[in-house]
Amino acid sequence: MKNRHYSFLFSIIGLLVFFPVAFLIVTSFALQWTWPQILPTEWSTIGWNALIEEPKLFLALRTSIGIGAIVVFINLAIGFPAAKVLAFQSFKGKSFIEAFLLMPILIPGLAVAMGLHLTMIRIGVADHWAGVALVHLVPTIPYTIKIFRSGFERVGSFYELQALSLGASQKEVFTSIYLPQLITSIRSATFLIFVISLSQYALTAIIGGGNVVTLAMIYFPYLSSVNNAVIASFSLLFAGIPLLFILIIEIVIRMFIPYRSLTNTQQ
Amino acid sequence: MFKYIRLETKNIAYLFPFIVILLSACSNSTDNTAVDEEILLKEWDSYKENASESEVSIFMWGGDEGINAYMDEFVSPELKEKHNITLNRVAMDTNEILQKLMNEKRANQEEGTIDIIWINGENFLNAKENDLLFGPFTEVLPNYQEYVDTESLDILYDFGTEVEGLEAPWGSVQFVFQYDSAKVSDPPKSFEELSTWVKENPGKFVYPEPSDFTGNAFLQHLLYDQIGGPDKLLENGFDEEFVTNNTDGMWEYLRDIEPFLWRDGETYPASLTELDRLYSQGEIWMTMGYNEARAESFINDGTFPESTKSFVLDSGSIGNTHFLAIPYNSPNKEGALVAINELLSPEAQMTKYDTTYWGESMGIDPEKLSNDNKEKLAAMERGGSVLPANELNEAFLPEVDTQYGGWIREKWLNEVVQTD
Amino acid sequence: MKWFKQTKYVWPLVPAVLFVFIFVGYAIMMALLESITINGQWTLDAYKQLLENQSFRDSILFSLKVTLTSTFISLFIGVVITRWMYYYLRNYWVKVLIWIPMLFPHFVWGYIVILLFSQSGWFSGLLYELGLLEDFTHFPVLTQDQHGIGIISTYIFKEVPFVILIILPVYIQMNHQYKHVVQTLGGSKWEIFKTVEWPTIFPVLSEAGIIIFAFVLSAFEVPFLLGATYPKMVSILSYDWFFQGDWSQRPMAFAAMIIVTSIIVICSIVLFSMTNRLRIRVSKGER
Repeated sequence: MKNRHYSFLFSIIGLLVFFPVAFLIVTSFALQWTWPQILPTEWSTIGWNALIEEPKLFLALRTSIGIGAIVVFINLAIGFPAAKVLAFQSFKGKSFIEAFLLMPILIPGLAVAMGLHLTMIRIGVADHWAGVALVHLVPTIPYTIKIFRSGFERVGSFYELQALSLGASQKEVFTSIYLPQLITSIRSATFLIFVISLSQYALTAIIGGGNVVTLAMIYFPYLSSVNNAVIASFSLLFAGIPLLFILIIEIVIRMFIPYRSLTNTQQ
Repeated sequence: MFKYIRLETKNIAYLFPFIVILLSACSNSTDNTAVDEEILLKEWDSYKENASESEVSIFMWGGDEGINAYMDEFVSPELKEKHNITLNRVAMDTNEILQKLMNEKRANQEEGTIDIIWINGENFLNAKENDLLFGPFTEVLPNYQEYVDTESLDILYDFGTEVEGLEAPWGSVQFVFQYDSAKVSDPPKSFEELSTWVKENPGKFVYPEPSDFTGNAFLQHLLYDQIGGPDKLLENGFDEEFVTNNTDGMWEYLRDIEPFLWRDGETYPASLTELDRLYSQGEIWMTMGYNEARAESFINDGTFPESTKSFVLDSGSIGNTHFLAIPYNSPNKEGALVAINELLSPEAQMTKYDTTYWGESMGIDPEKLSNDNKEKLAAMERGGSVLPANELNEAFLPEVDTQYGGWIREKWLNEVVQTD
Repeated sequence: MKWFKQTKYVWPLVPAVLFVFIFVGYAIMMALLESITINGQWTLDAYKQLLENQSFRDSILFSLKVTLTSTFISLFIGVVITRWMYYYLRNYWVKVLIWIPMLFPHFVWGYIVILLFSQSGWFSGLLYELGLLEDFTHFPVLTQDQHGIGIISTYIFKEVPFVILIILPVYIQMNHQYKHVVQTLGGSKWEIFKTVEWPTIFPVLSEAGIIIFAFVLSAFEVPFLLGATYPKMVSILSYDWFFQGDWSQRPMAFAAMIIVTSIIVICSIVLFSMTNRLRIRVSKGER
């Protein structure tokens, strides 16, 4: 029974994850690969060369990671309190507020790009990393609130009430109850926010105005290339960056939170 | 009550992130409004002086590795060395560039981020009509005056829109078909022969949707054929009634070949990239596009088969000039002038002509080059897939008013697609 | 006093609400204004033109079909896999693996679908080499097809991991003892699902559903790669109208996007009021 489950699980992951990624890796090294060959007939590193020769690659990596980190930070700062209210309080018009907070990801990006740009120009953050960071909040905030809301619902308010009645301060409640208990939510939110921020092209292009060169700014134009190897190599790099980021975050988390409380909450 | 107030101060902390981000942004805004006319009255040398040590941002489509390499590996070091200008190439679709400018115009932003844009056709018309461009500036460029054929119609008009010095010609390309000579021995010479070929080889030909630039050009060529050459269309600008009444045969032709196209004509590639991919996979045997040398780099990087050759129809090949313009709110107009002048220099133009990078024809007139350069140019090999220069010159057809492009797009949908 | 109490609760919501209101609210207002003004005149012409436009009507039906199909199939497969596998999916590394498809933009997944499933794609080549296919033209048309198979399968391919990640915590948290109760009372597997699991996952599932629905209905990249010439997804039509020609069709582009936005917003409000009622019921039942 157990073995059957594992082999089923493995084939699903193989199909949905390993196969496409392996296919991309092979494509990134292919020079000649036409129908009906199963594998390329000629191999080369042209795809990766185009990537390495990109003069702004390292600048873009730095900018992307920096902006991603800021966006994650602000998201946590705004989303955490809002999610707590939505999880524990009920009040008039709650469904409306919930739907409203989900709006940014429900509307077509093209429809709001112009309005967002005008706002950014008026408050003086257009063509600046700050504007880009602000605009990246739009597609990420709803996810953060959602993730933390279900996190809070899972934990429940019981511990908080208990601790408060025993005389704990709000700060203590936060650091010793919610922070460790919500660590999985923090992980998921951080990762998702970073991935979304990284892949914003249209908004970054218009608001950043070319002054803010993120990885998406150099990656997306290559997607209209005819050369499959170039597209594949850029895509792989693009997917690798969030993994690197989450590794850094993981180290930070372990530095701040005692290891024991981490293992306790992991299922 | 006291408790409530304390609560409030704490709550202000929730706004902290906004405050930080707004403050960090305010430190960066500078105001630098110069009067445009004044700039254009200066001596050329003073531009060079002012442009030194400055940064020039060029915004251009970035989907071709060869073109990008030309900018990064040749132009950028050249500008640095000769003029001490740092070139900042930003890859963005022209659509988006214009949208950005349009929003900035609306918000009265005097200082933007773009110094040069690569532009032509409909985009130029839109930019011009919405006053998004600086100029007229071409007259002040020494290389424009020395090397460009300033009387030529394809430099005075961009898809039927009068250029009026708002953009400088960067390069010119011609529309050619590519075919795989291993599979096609005798490429068609006319639209009739093409139709015969398509019917004999079902599924091996298709053109992109006319919402794509290349697909539109293909249909435009068919339109020329239908009404006996572009002259009638050039005479009096956009004449919808005339084309509507005289093009039944053209739509008839397209409906006639449709069942024999790729996928039985049920769908068309949405972009040239898609068409090229089908060709590279061998699904279709012909592709097409502006730039007579476009196949070379694809052959070199293994995308196209080595047996790829090109052809033009006897009725000609549409030529297309593309340009460089300066946005109204460029923060470094003088730098932009110096950089554009450099891009029009014989050296830069001839390097661009070389197929190692880009391989397209020059925006300047080859006749105006020095004898030395003429010899060099004649000695340059463009590669086996490129047609000889005289054949291309003979086939050259001018482009007509950009509004015909829009007309073709809409009409095609009604006449060809929605009829099934 | 009661008011104070309520504001105290609501204060932490202010930054989020304010942010969405200032940035997105204003932008939607602008889009709305663009759709009802032509040359500075107030008019509903853009909407009238849209409704009279054959390609738009075909397109909205096609888009809804594609969107609903991809949303429901993704949710279904996601629930089936999670329900069956949640015990094994709890493993940290398995979770990391499921995250991987989320790392790639939708465009890349669409591109992979083309490389694998087009007529001259990898699978067609494989079948040919195995002697099961005479020529690639005999391979079924799975991309750029008029039924949206290519678009739908790309989205399913991409969204199933998303659904799994969203509902996995719910399954892990679920009180599985209730299941035993139902079982001992002689309930079938379906009854267990209906009475124990469904009420708990429904709110989360509907939220995931509305996110996918909204995304698929308004995204541009995948249908651009994998769509057919006719009918087109609404997103492509609005994109074309927005950017092409002399910009005179922009009001129509905005009108189309406003219509899409309204569809999504109405759906989500209906769904939210449904789930909130259910949430209250569930939490009352538990206490």
